[in-house]
Amino acid sequence: MVKKYNKGSRIEYRKRDILFTAGLWLVSLILPDPHLPYRREFIKKRDFFYVGALLLLPLILSGPLVYLMVLAGIYAIVALGLSLFLGYAGQISLGHAAFFGIGAYTTAILTTRYAVSPLEAFGASALAAAVCAYLIGKPILKLKGYFLALATLGFGEIFLVMVRESRSLTGGVSGIFGVPWFSVAGFAFDTSLKQYYLVWGVLIALVLFAKNLVRSKMGRTLLAVAASEDAAASVGINVAQVKVRVFVLSAAFAGLAGSLFACVLSTANPQGFGLGLSVLVVMMVIMGGMGNLYGPIFAAIFLTWLTDVLGGFQEYSLPIYGVILILLLIFFPDGVGTRLNERLIYLISYWGRKRRRERVDI
Amino acid sequence: MNPWIHIPQLLAAGITMGAIYALVALGFVIIVRASQILNFAQGEFVMLGGVVTFFFITGAGLPYPLAALAAVLAVIVIGFLLHLLVVYPLRKASVLILIMATVGASIVISNTSALLFGTLPKALPPFSGDLPLELGGIRIVPQNLWVLGATFLLFFVLYFLSHRTLVGKAMEASSTDPLGADLSGIARNFMVFLAFGVSAGVGAIAGVLVTPIFYTSYNAGTLLGLKGFIAAVVGGWGKNSGAVLGGFVLGVVESTSIAFIPAGYKDAVAFVVLLLILYFRPKGILGSPYIDSRRW
Amino acid sequence: MSLLSIDTISKSYDGVRALNGVSLRVREGTIKGLIGPNGAGKTTLFHLITGVERPSAGTISFQGRDITTLEPHEIALLGVGRTFQTLQVMGTMTVVENILTGMHSRLKGGFLSCGLWLPWIHKGERTALKEAKETLEFLDLLGRWKWNASHLSFAQQKMLELGRALAMKPTLLLLDEPAAGLTPAEVTRLAEKIRRLREQGMTILIVEHHMGMIMDITDEVAVLHNGEIITEGPPDAVRNDPRVIEAYLRGKDA
Repeated sequence: MVKKYNKGSRIEYRKRDILFTAGLWLVSLILPDPHLPYRREFIKKRDFFYVGALLLLPLILSGPLVYLMVLAGIYAIVALGLSLFLGYAGQISLGHAAFFGIGAYTTAILTTRYAVSPLEAFGASALAAAVCAYLIGKPILKLKGYFLALATLGFGEIFLVMVRESRSLTGGVSGIFGVPWFSVAGFAFDTSLKQYYLVWGVLIALVLFAKNLVRSKMGRTLLAVAASEDAAASVGINVAQVKVRVFVLSAAFAGLAGSLFACVLSTANPQGFGLGLSVLVVMMVIMGGMGNLYGPIFAAIFLTWLTDVLGGFQEYSLPIYGVILILLLIFFPDGVGTRLNERLIYLISYWGRKRRRERVDI
Repeated sequence: MNPWIHIPQLLAAGITMGAIYALVALGFVIIVRASQILNFAQGEFVMLGGVVTFFFITGAGLPYPLAALAAVLAVIVIGFLLHLLVVYPLRKASVLILIMATVGASIVISNTSALLFGTLPKALPPFSGDLPLELGGIRIVPQNLWVLGATFLLFFVLYFLSHRTLVGKAMEASSTDPLGADLSGIARNFMVFLAFGVSAGVGAIAGVLVTPIFYTSYNAGTLLGLKGFIAAVVGGWGKNSGAVLGGFVLGVVESTSIAFIPAGYKDAVAFVVLLLILYFRPKGILGSPYIDSRRW
Repeated sequence: MSLLSIDTISKSYDGVRALNGVSLRVREGTIKGLIGPNGAGKTTLFHLITGVERPSAGTISFQGRDITTLEPHEIALLGVGRTFQTLQVMGTMTVVENILTGMHSRLKGGFLSCGLWLPWIHKGERTALKEAKETLEFLDLLGRWKWNASHLSFAQQKMLELGRALAMKPTLLLLDEPAAGLTPAEVTRLAEKIRRLREQGMTILIVEHHMGMIMDITDEVAVLHNGEIITEGPPDAVRNDPRVIEAYLRGKDA
């Protein structure tokens, strides 16, 4: 009786696993290998494949999709920065949209009011976001868990109110218009295609920076802080300082992305920088997998595409979006790639065990 | 203009607002006392309480009290569903995942309500007329007294529930010591399930009480929920009395701030209060039994 | 010359006295054992030395410097390495990375220079890796250097934690119950390692319940009972001290 039950349940489990895995198997071949996030060779063969795909992608994509990839690239920059803070250092932030907004407004104000060149405004945006992050991070980063989430969320809300109310500077609810295209030495990035190469070029540079970071002393420090603050302090890591610094760094990433965002859309208004964006960016990091740099970028592309597709359903879009978020969290709480790989490894080992069992039976 | 002239009137408004925040905060505390989970969708229960009552009156033609009762019951069912569909599958997940999942639930609930009941703000008639009472130069709408009374009534009912009944004790045990609760035979998940229902009910009652004073629209819940949470933190996280006290403190501070700063900044005041209290006294005014555990 | 000296230190929690005027000295180049029944205040003393908690009264000085009010990481930077009673291995990292984390204070570089991979970072990482492998070889873990730390056995994780503390090249090593939960064979191996560390000139303060090991490897033993040091001296003298026997026996009766 017991034997029969066992046998039945095993077969059922195998079927479910095949169903679960089969459709997504191809994706997992391209997805980064989350089981090896700490074997940090700097450049792998796979990276050349990624860069090549990025260079050639505009050839096969139509105009609107290129524009979508520009947006995805911008969000991917934010997600990359947040991945260092959330995925590596294990802290929670629901206020990254504010840093994104600070970057966008800095660029918009500097270029339209003070005729600063976009390149200089680009740097200034990162600086502004970093300074804000330092000021806010110093007091709130001693909090953990829910309270940290709430405090960062509160910062985001305060930022929104300030932007809406200081009309003389930010143009209030309607925002600032007419931000010039991004330009370097007279070369203006005025089409989607040029912007695509600009944004993804910046992203590649930042990915190299982040890769260097995580394969060095600082990357280990971040992981150590996430794993055990006591142990980290016991080897001489200044936990509070490390948290503030990585927060500042990830805010600077968000500031850069915000600057690009203002240049690409040539406008900055408070609608784009609310809690919705913060949630979206955190989702990118969760879906991409904690402690993983490529995952959030793939998730950024996917989620940007998803929000665009859902936009077609008009008033149904947000409920569907919410349901998809919940389902993703329930079924892939540690990232799509991680879960898929676990399933694949389980499946392979299951088949291995099965074959061995059959041999014994004979 | 002397800002101090308006202070008494603003204080009265602040106390009403505070009672509402206290009701929302109580909802948070009920769940936290049972499970150490923070439900970001709590504000949506409040919104639903008002909107569903409105629907039962205009759509189904029920009389006011019956409609309110039906709405509260409906929201309790939604609270149960929220637990079954979102929180229960994630009972072993990390803090971050739970935050994101309840935020997702809040998106679903508010936008589905917009789909079903429309995006226009809803208003209910007051319980007992809208003739303001003059009280020493301050004008008070009778509905405000209803809100105040209901807050204190609910506070005492919840106090009785959690301190004088076995279910309340079991709920608290399953939060403070999950393993111990399991070992003494408490069905922990069922306790959380119950807590979600009670919390949704309290939220819905708050919604019914509030809607005659303010217009309730589909997106009002998020901000109200956040402020209720802030109230709970200010008063002392995880304490019923803290939630009520924090609600009043927050309501009064927010309301009197209008006299000194432009009204547009009002929403930021609550968050500034939050950042200050988290920095200087994360335990809240009355202290908190949960703040030492690593989760907070 | 004593490396670590604790002067009449007291600690009370809400009126309950955990430590009452404890004085303790650890001389350079020796192994000092600290024993005592459960609840005697050993762990509290450890927390005070490593800066996790602040004493209510008294001072602690290390190499003649007052460290009473320093933060844990500052004390670590002065050269005090420690292990934990409950394992604190970083399970998300590989074995070798755990050791490399221990070298944090000896490697140069901050966020910017690491991100830009400046030449000295490259050089530092290389030598650090070599050194980490030497430490792993000493702990018999070299064969598993690429493993995820959470996949090691309990005893190996304990070793790894010791390795992380050793990677700091500490002047003083604090071991909090290193033998707890190990099999007799593993305890013998651990005692062997500790003895070899002393030969290399390291000073060690060790809290332990395993009497055999303490009597075997230490130069001096202090016995803590009810928040006070009741006796102190060479292992043989302590073993036969009637007060110690009484403290342990009474502890068992109660």
